[in-house]
Amino acid sequence: MKRISPRMRFRMMNPFLQFFKFIILSVKIMVIVAGGHGGTREKVK
Amino acid sequence: MSKIVILGAGISGHVAAAHLRRKLSKEHEVVVVSPNSNYQWIPSNIWVGIGRMKSEKILFPLAPLYKKKGIGFKQAKAVSFHPEGDSTEQKPYVLSEYVVGDNKGKQEKVTYDYLINATGPKLNFEATEGLIPGENKTYSVCTYTHADHAWEGLSALIEDMKKGKKAKILIGTGHAKSTCQGAAFEYILNVEEELQKHNVRDMAEITWIANEHELGDFGMDGVLMSYNDMIMKSSELVEMIFEDRGIKWIIGAGVNKIEDGIAHYETLDGDYKTESYDFAMLIPAFSGHGFKAYDKNENDITEKLFKGFMIVDADYTSKPYEEWTVQDWPETYQNPSYKNIFAPGIAFAPPHAISKPRKSKNGTDISPAPPRTGMPSGITAKLVAENIIETIKNGKTSTDHKGSLGNMGAACIASAGFGFWKGSGVSITTYPIVPDFKKYPDSHGRHLGKTFGAIGLAGHWLKLMLHYAFIYKAKMRPFWWLIPE
Ligand SMILES: Cc1cc2nc3c(=O)[nH]c(=O)nc-3n(C[C@H](O)[C@H](O)[C@H](O)COP(=O)(O)OP(=O)(O)OC[C@H]3O[C@@H](n4cnc5c(N)ncnc54)[C@H](O)[C@@H]3O)c2cc1C
Repeated sequence: MKRISPRMRFRMMNPFLQFFKFIILSVKIMVIVAGGHGGTREKVK
Repeated sequence: MSKIVILGAGISGHVAAAHLRRKLSKEHEVVVVSPNSNYQWIPSNIWVGIGRMKSEKILFPLAPLYKKKGIGFKQAKAVSFHPEGDSTEQKPYVLSEYVVGDNKGKQEKVTYDYLINATGPKLNFEATEGLIPGENKTYSVCTYTHADHAWEGLSALIEDMKKGKKAKILIGTGHAKSTCQGAAFEYILNVEEELQKHNVRDMAEITWIANEHELGDFGMDGVLMSYNDMIMKSSELVEMIFEDRGIKWIIGAGVNKIEDGIAHYETLDGDYKTESYDFAMLIPAFSGHGFKAYDKNENDITEKLFKGFMIVDADYTSKPYEEWTVQDWPETYQNPSYKNIFAPGIAFAPPHAISKPRKSKNGTDISPAPPRTGMPSGITAKLVAENIIETIKNGKTSTDHKGSLGNMGAACIASAGFGFWKGSGVSITTYPIVPDFKKYPDSHGRHLGKTFGAIGLAGHWLKLMLHYAFIYKAKMRPFWWLIPE
């Protein structure tokens, strides 16, 4: 059953568009994953 | 002078050893005890299992690197823990047994001042009758040898399909309590793509089988995420992908027995069913290694150190799903009884699952165990190393570095097909890994800005970039420490 439209597939596989997606994803992942972590307990009284 | 012993040279053990060696002067000893001679970048086993990457590309020998960097290496396996020493050895030690060479079978008391248990999981194939990699037409991709084997099996089947054989392929979890659904998810998409490339897709019926109660649970209780301009459930995303690729699914299934080409399973509805196949890749249950621990008088103190996996600073009080909180999850991975022992990565005992526990009508537990992927394994190993480094340098116990899975993000870049121009990946980033329902009550415990999904070629490039970056980092090449865990 086709669930991904040709337009969506084009956007998913177009190297030009995906290059920008790659940059955005890399930055977002860096910010979220490398952007810090910590404990949870000290905030709970 | 301090001696730090690290058990295991997987993602977490190797990260810890590398940071300790970099930051501690040479008067301090860093020793790795691990049975495998090679380091392997496990996430790329998926591509080994479809024949798109040679296993040599994902591994390298540890001994020369450790020699060059001044890290001691014993190719041995830990057998038992003696955190108080014994009548003849004053210092705490781990009894280890060499696995190769002239010393093979010889045991040694490896003493330590600080111990990092990074032994990961035992791949518990025995928990499912008949689930043996390479037998009964079932395979695994959990190690590079398994993945090589899986490709042999799959490529033979592809050849048969080219000759006109119709085939059934079954991929998913091989036990009612398995975890690591993400790896099986990647593999099923890659196998499907590979069959397309070999022009045999129409000869195969591909089925997903998993202990998840709904698709996309991934042992993380499912994920609500931003996807383009929408908010989507991971179940909807996975359903869309499976339907689009013509992949069938069986969920809420606890596989309990494998015979040649037949998987027996129980469903959450309490039915006992079978599924036949010509090729299966089923992830086994993960368990602790069954280590024993003894005090200085040789009394068994295993329950102080282990609860299956190693006991750390988690809240292990048994409570119902509704009362679980992120505060139950450990922050420093330090054993409460012996403060010089730590367990990052998969080696620590989680306080409970992440997904809601479910039982079949017959009372069988069928739900995923909590996954602990590569990124958190690396991050927890680094923070353990940093606490040890500060403790040694400052001369007083430091546990300032903390990293709870309830306050940490993870990116799961699932390969969905290999190829620089034709490849694809499903990128799912979650924050936090363990949902915090108090902080994010309206978005299933996660921050929607930081929890998002994307499908496309960029995902493949990301996965490939991570492959090269992490192998570069693991080889401790110049400025390796600038690459985050
Ligand atoms: C097929 C597959 C694909 C995956 N893909 C991804 C992915 O895309 N992204 C992601 O983030 N995560 C992924 N993961 C998960 C990731 O690989 C794990 O989270 C990670 O390997 C855990 O690291 P670890 O160091 O805790 O354990 P491991 O990597 O399992 O390392 C354990 C180490 O301990 C050693 N050891 C075992 N027994 C003993 C003993 N008795 N004494 C001493 N040493 C011992 C082992 O030889 C090994 O060196 C994947 C996992 C699999 C199986």
